[in-house]
Amino acid sequence: MAPRLPTRCWWQFQSHTQLSTLTRPRTSPPSLLLLPRTTTRGVKYGWSTLSPRAKVTRFNQVTAGLPKPTTGPAAALERRKNTTPVRAGVLAVKKGMTAFMGKAGARIPCTVLQLDRVQTVANKTRAKNGYWAVQVGLGEKNPDNVTAPLLGYFEAKGIAPKRELAEFKVRDESGLLPVGVQLLPDWFHVGQWVDVRANSRGMGFAGGMKRHGFKGQEASHGNSLNHRTIGSLGQSQGGGSRVYPGKKMPGRMGNQRVTMQNLPVLMVDNDLGIVVVKGCVAGPKGCVVKIQDAVKKPPPPEKFVEHTKKALEERFPDAAEMLEAARKRHLELKEARKEGRIAQLLAAGVKEDAPIPGDASVVY
Amino acid sequence: MNVAPISRRPLGCLKTALRQSRQQKALLCRSMATATPTSQKAPERLPDHNFYSIKDNKTKKIRTAFAVYKTPVVEAQPDPKKVVKKLPRNAPRVPAEKLPGLLVPPPDPLPLLHATQIARMDPTGARTALISKTRQGARPGDILMVTHRRGGEPFSGVCMSIRRAGIDSAILLRNHLNKVGVEMWYKVYNKNVAGIEIVKRARKRARRARLTYLRQPKHDVGSVSEIVAQWKKTRKIVSSRGGAQKAAKKAA
Repeated sequence: MAPRLPTRCWWQFQSHTQLSTLTRPRTSPPSLLLLPRTTTRGVKYGWSTLSPRAKVTRFNQVTAGLPKPTTGPAAALERRKNTTPVRAGVLAVKKGMTAFMGKAGARIPCTVLQLDRVQTVANKTRAKNGYWAVQVGLGEKNPDNVTAPLLGYFEAKGIAPKRELAEFKVRDESGLLPVGVQLLPDWFHVGQWVDVRANSRGMGFAGGMKRHGFKGQEASHGNSLNHRTIGSLGQSQGGGSRVYPGKKMPGRMGNQRVTMQNLPVLMVDNDLGIVVVKGCVAGPKGCVVKIQDAVKKPPPPEKFVEHTKKALEERFPDAAEMLEAARKRHLELKEARKEGRIAQLLAAGVKEDAPIPGDASVVY
Repeated sequence: MNVAPISRRPLGCLKTALRQSRQQKALLCRSMATATPTSQKAPERLPDHNFYSIKDNKTKKIRTAFAVYKTPVVEAQPDPKKVVKKLPRNAPRVPAEKLPGLLVPPPDPLPLLHATQIARMDPTGARTALISKTRQGARPGDILMVTHRRGGEPFSGVCMSIRRAGIDSAILLRNHLNKVGVEMWYKVYNKNVAGIEIVKRARKRARRARLTYLRQPKHDVGSVSEIVAQWKKTRKIVSSRGGAQKAAKKAA
């Protein structure tokens, strides 16, 4: 059966036909037509106009004695459970490479990654979003360069606008973190394995030798103008009188996400704000990287996981309160904006660029 | 597609009738729901914030405004001399201190990291003094001798280059072993380098920092073993009995 039309369409039909006055349902007040329309179809509500009754999962359920489906969001989460980290990760800035000198004479090349005001911004839940994740922000951004929708988003959280936002998938709800807490380098411990993800250095339009490791051609012996060219593109008639799709050719190279897996953490320093990992990390100096517990290694010990989570709560005990207060404030301001009262509000008491009050008492 | 109004649809099924009335009730009640469940507890504090307004370019009127929060920050005070003690495995957990704001690290941690590592690897400061840019430090052109941690023959040679790179600082020494020119890089702060000594200072200051011209036969110093042997002799004389007499001889 086709999707049911929204009810408001039928009201329109009814208003045209005057014959239906007798047959009009008792429960339909005329004032209903004067009410503004409410969206029922969109990203937030799901694009489908299908009624909940038509949902595919309504029948053939597991409780009826049938086996669990191997397809679908639930099955996918279950399949990926073991390779999804237990804890959220952090964002960091790649500062450069040095060497780590050991007491026994070891010299280990390492990369220094700095955490700059890394805060949790939001949580994603399975009920609302279909998966568990923590959204983390890094740095700061001038409000002049932040779009209005994002300004509203940060206003609702009570957090200063962040330069970068990224999500870290976690295994289940125990991996979710309170909003607004800062993640410090001691989120990781020395010796643990981490995965570091970043966009590699962009190489621009790269030739065959750089991009695919082609060997080029001779430097002399009569070769003219073709020392670094890719040479033949394939067979003639025998290869279909064409160039195969996917033929390796020059093109844009780099600036792609690269994951360095299983890097051991050599050093962790809260005062310097750094996590030092062994080896190389993709990207130029100053790029933003994502650090998370390695998926191909067992998760950190439960004791350590609890310890780090507790540390967050101890460092920022007011996080929940601040969030609630910011949220309330946001709803009030949102209404004011919708009704066009915001300019009056500012004129009345709240000053722009006012010196930040010491005790967070806002004139409103 | 069924476009007939509700009233005209057959109401033979009771289920259908109930569903229709339920839907209409929903339409009445829930169309304007913007109210969100409010918490009972009053907010104790709001984070500090300013107002940022967006003005219309032409009319100069405030189009919209947002509260932009500014979290208080705490500047971190890193100390290179601080020694991080390694706690035993079963040490009781020390609760973390409450942070009044976000901890902001120094923008450039690398020099500070180098300082921390150097403080660890060179507590006396002898190695740092060796490569420092002072008259007492080693300079390109001097003959240096490096003793290895694992024993074996110490390597000596003319210092061709000093690379100053924090913890990764290194010196390049050139010598002739069995008439074959050999150059070796040594990391100054690495523990495998047990010690570096200045055997002989250059008579004249070299006019460049990298003495790669020494590779040419015209300028090649050759083997420094004789110079090192002589230096060792004078050292032995000093350290043996009757030192005062021979110390005068050395000074001469």
